[in-house]
Amino acid sequence: MGLDPSLLLDTFGVMAFRLDDDLRVREAQGTQGPPFMGEDIRETMPVLYGLEDALAAPDVDLAMPFIQTGRDNDEPMALRVRRDPATGDLWVLCRDVSEESAIHRELVQKHNSLSLAQAALVKARDAAQEADRTKTAFLANVSHELRTPLHVIIGGAAILSRTGAKRLTPDEVPGYADDIHESGVLLLQLVDDLIDLSRSETGDLTIYEEPCDLRAIVSGIVSLSRELPEARGTRIAATLPDGPVPMLADARRIKQVLLNLLSNAVKAVAGRTDAAILFEIDPDGPVLTVSDNGPGMTAAELEIARKPFGQPRAAVRAKGAGLGLAIVHRLVDLHGGRVEIETAPNEGLTARIVFAAPSRPPVPTG
Amino acid sequence: MSAKTYKIVVLGDFGVGKTSLIRRYVLDEFSEVYRATIGVHLYKHTDALAATALPVNLVVWDIEGAPLPSEQTRRYIVGASGALIVGDATRADPFSAMWEAADMFEDVLPGRPLCLALNKSDLGTEAHPETVNRMTRRYDCPAFGTSALTGDGVTPAFRALARSILSLGL
Repeated sequence: MGLDPSLLLDTFGVMAFRLDDDLRVREAQGTQGPPFMGEDIRETMPVLYGLEDALAAPDVDLAMPFIQTGRDNDEPMALRVRRDPATGDLWVLCRDVSEESAIHRELVQKHNSLSLAQAALVKARDAAQEADRTKTAFLANVSHELRTPLHVIIGGAAILSRTGAKRLTPDEVPGYADDIHESGVLLLQLVDDLIDLSRSETGDLTIYEEPCDLRAIVSGIVSLSRELPEARGTRIAATLPDGPVPMLADARRIKQVLLNLLSNAVKAVAGRTDAAILFEIDPDGPVLTVSDNGPGMTAAELEIARKPFGQPRAAVRAKGAGLGLAIVHRLVDLHGGRVEIETAPNEGLTARIVFAAPSRPPVPTG
Repeated sequence: MSAKTYKIVVLGDFGVGKTSLIRRYVLDEFSEVYRATIGVHLYKHTDALAATALPVNLVVWDIEGAPLPSEQTRRYIVGASGALIVGDATRADPFSAMWEAADMFEDVLPGRPLCLALNKSDLGTEAHPETVNRMTRRYDCPAFGTSALTGDGVTPAFRALARSILSLGL
């Protein structure tokens, strides 16, 4: 009576298969199948797919220490494929390596988990350091932006309060009063922007969407811009649809977006004899575009301008804290839209606000 | 005569999501629990690359991850028709291990197609377009942003690789 085929597997966890040239099982030791006699062993051991050329070699000797198959993590096996040097027969030898595999897995799992945790810690540390640098730079920028108008206010007030021989003449008073007023307005704007920026960082910047008419909003801003003293000499034009452009939006925040873009454009074109700013609405989308023929920016300068307090070279001489574009991005994000900016040196700048298409048509207003 | 079965290997550093990508592709499932792959884990899968095309039989080899391919990895990839090279898009440097794996694969199996997968794209990717372009030009292969969590890009990446294999008549 021969050896019980299951004995090898049960005792030592070993199976062996002798194969013919077509990789069909001709002899099995240690198992009663599968794979069964005459079957293509690759159907049961897909690990052998792709290895046909290697298996045909006279000196084939393949070793794979841990192999699992299937969705439910079948028992891991070690595989050895060798040709019997005496007979030339091809043998596939398999061994159950569940125990070794469990130990190995625990080690690898611990090593990998530790490495991944360490990498996550390094990343978190770098982010914290970057945040700290940003905070320091932010405070320095805020301090700088506050000091300039405060100096004007304090100095102007001191001059206005002079008495005796140094007292201002009635003609000189309005000039200093205007400077103090302008600096106060600048400070208020800066504080408002900082509050918006801070709220957007904490997720507290909210919008109140309601049906509104984008055309009416833009039209109002265009009329206002033509009255601005700093826009004097700038040709401000608008290409608007004939009818209303209904959308769901926070009209006050859209006006803020437009005023920030307008403010940047006015600063960009200042001093040009052909200064021009164009507002456009494409009602499909809808898409709102503000273009200027200023000096434009390089890609690197644009990256700077997008960040809070970013002051690219082209805007260095301009007034402003460099918060406008950052706030535009955040407000448009809140509306589910996106800001696209096209610019290049000496080619002006075009800011496109692409609003999200409404899921349902808003009720036209006005 | 039965249809040919193609061996595809999935390579890359550990923890980049190779197993998750395969299980999303083959089993359409995802687990948040990290379980290291030991040696290789094989998945048989039949996929129809197009509605009109015949299904293609694949054996996908999920190979134990490492920043540098080992000698054992070189032995594992013998006979592969193509490779999916996976990186973690959220890492500061997802590419070092990808270059290593791709170079090793090309060294062992020159001319066999590759496909790149920058995984975990749902977690917000670092911007690396120049490096991705450099890799796709170097290996003449496509690249996909993938998310095993959402499934985005996963099937397209595997199918692109399978199409490359079929088009080369491997």
